[in-house]
Amino acid sequence: MANFPPADGSIDGHEPRDGNERPASGVEQSDLELVRRVQRGERGAFDLLVLRYQHRVVKLVARLLRDPAEAEDVAQEAFVKAYRAIGSFRGDSAFYTWLYRIAVNTARNTMASRQRRPLDYEADLSESEQSAVESRMRHGDTPEAAALTDEIHHTVNRAVEELPEDLRTAIILREIEGLSYEEIAAAMDCPVGTVRSRIFRAREAIDRHLKPLLD
Amino acid sequence: MTDQIREQISALLDGELASGEISLLVRRMERDAELRRAFGHYVLAGESLRAPGALLASPGFAARVGAALDDGPVEVAVAPTADARSPRRWARPLAGVAVAAGAALAAVLLVPAGERSGNRLAGSGMGSVQVNAPILPAGGASPTPAQNQRLAGYLVAHGQYASPIGRRNAWSAALAADPGITRVALETAERP
Repeated sequence: MANFPPADGSIDGHEPRDGNERPASGVEQSDLELVRRVQRGERGAFDLLVLRYQHRVVKLVARLLRDPAEAEDVAQEAFVKAYRAIGSFRGDSAFYTWLYRIAVNTARNTMASRQRRPLDYEADLSESEQSAVESRMRHGDTPEAAALTDEIHHTVNRAVEELPEDLRTAIILREIEGLSYEEIAAAMDCPVGTVRSRIFRAREAIDRHLKPLLD
Repeated sequence: MTDQIREQISALLDGELASGEISLLVRRMERDAELRRAFGHYVLAGESLRAPGALLASPGFAARVGAALDDGPVEVAVAPTADARSPRRWARPLAGVAVAAGAALAAVLLVPAGERSGNRLAGSGMGSVQVNAPILPAGGASPTPAQNQRLAGYLVAHGQYASPIGRRNAWSAALAADPGITRVALETAERP
């Protein structure tokens, strides 16, 4: 039996509530700002939400479907559903929580329509089956996709290793540890503005490595 | 200038951009593919750092989603805001109760006392039910002006919440019972 999250976060207008009341993070507040703009008719704001969450949604759907080849189609469908239903999003939960549940429901509907057994977080897979799925999950469906994914990861890691120490520390504390600018400033004993600048410069440096690969 | 904007994009990604700056930046990004590309690459780098080796969306994925949204008519149905929603939402059930009470009062006022006393309702196959209706002052076949005024108030209140059909039915019934009531209701409704 699949262990899916509750399906009540689907696009029926009933937004799931987070179980625990907690202050929204900066990213959640930023997402909410973008959502409000989409609700006022700014399509560009939704494009940014797609850019922000595309990798996580594709990865999630691929994991549920056990099929990277169709993960992007289903993820795309999930984003379209989210856009159509975004008027019902009130901000009671984080945007990603809401989007996540739409993606799970979309994947589940796809599996139901194709009479496929959903993945129960790997619990019901044999070791060899698990290994095959993991490999495909890491590398995508085609040799080209596999090569590109590997190259991206390799390039990003190399770019980070080449960063000056202050930039490397700032970007790692932000991206891997998830610290806020204020927390990073405290950790690095520097002003918040400096943190913002260091993280930006680190990203620019990584981008210079990525650009030839992706464009 | 471009660096400043790209630094804002980086801060937006981290949820560290001031709310007042977001709108202008989003509008800029909507017009500028290079800025959107930078945002996408910043996201990609972060995902790659957090989950080395994990599956990533292909480079054209976001553009395909955008094209899918452009393809068909997609309406963003915006739910009413809490401010717009709450007063009427809670008022409607109360209004319904008020209308029902008004209708009951109208029945009490309009039906001649003689017909109400000891009245029996014949149900089809359900036997008969004794109705213990209150009795109006004897000889009150026509409502008094004060009663007309009160009933008119109910009609006006009903008209504010009822559907057009419901409003028409209520007013037609009142008119059939006593044209004077409707005249008073119209006067009540026209008052500021």
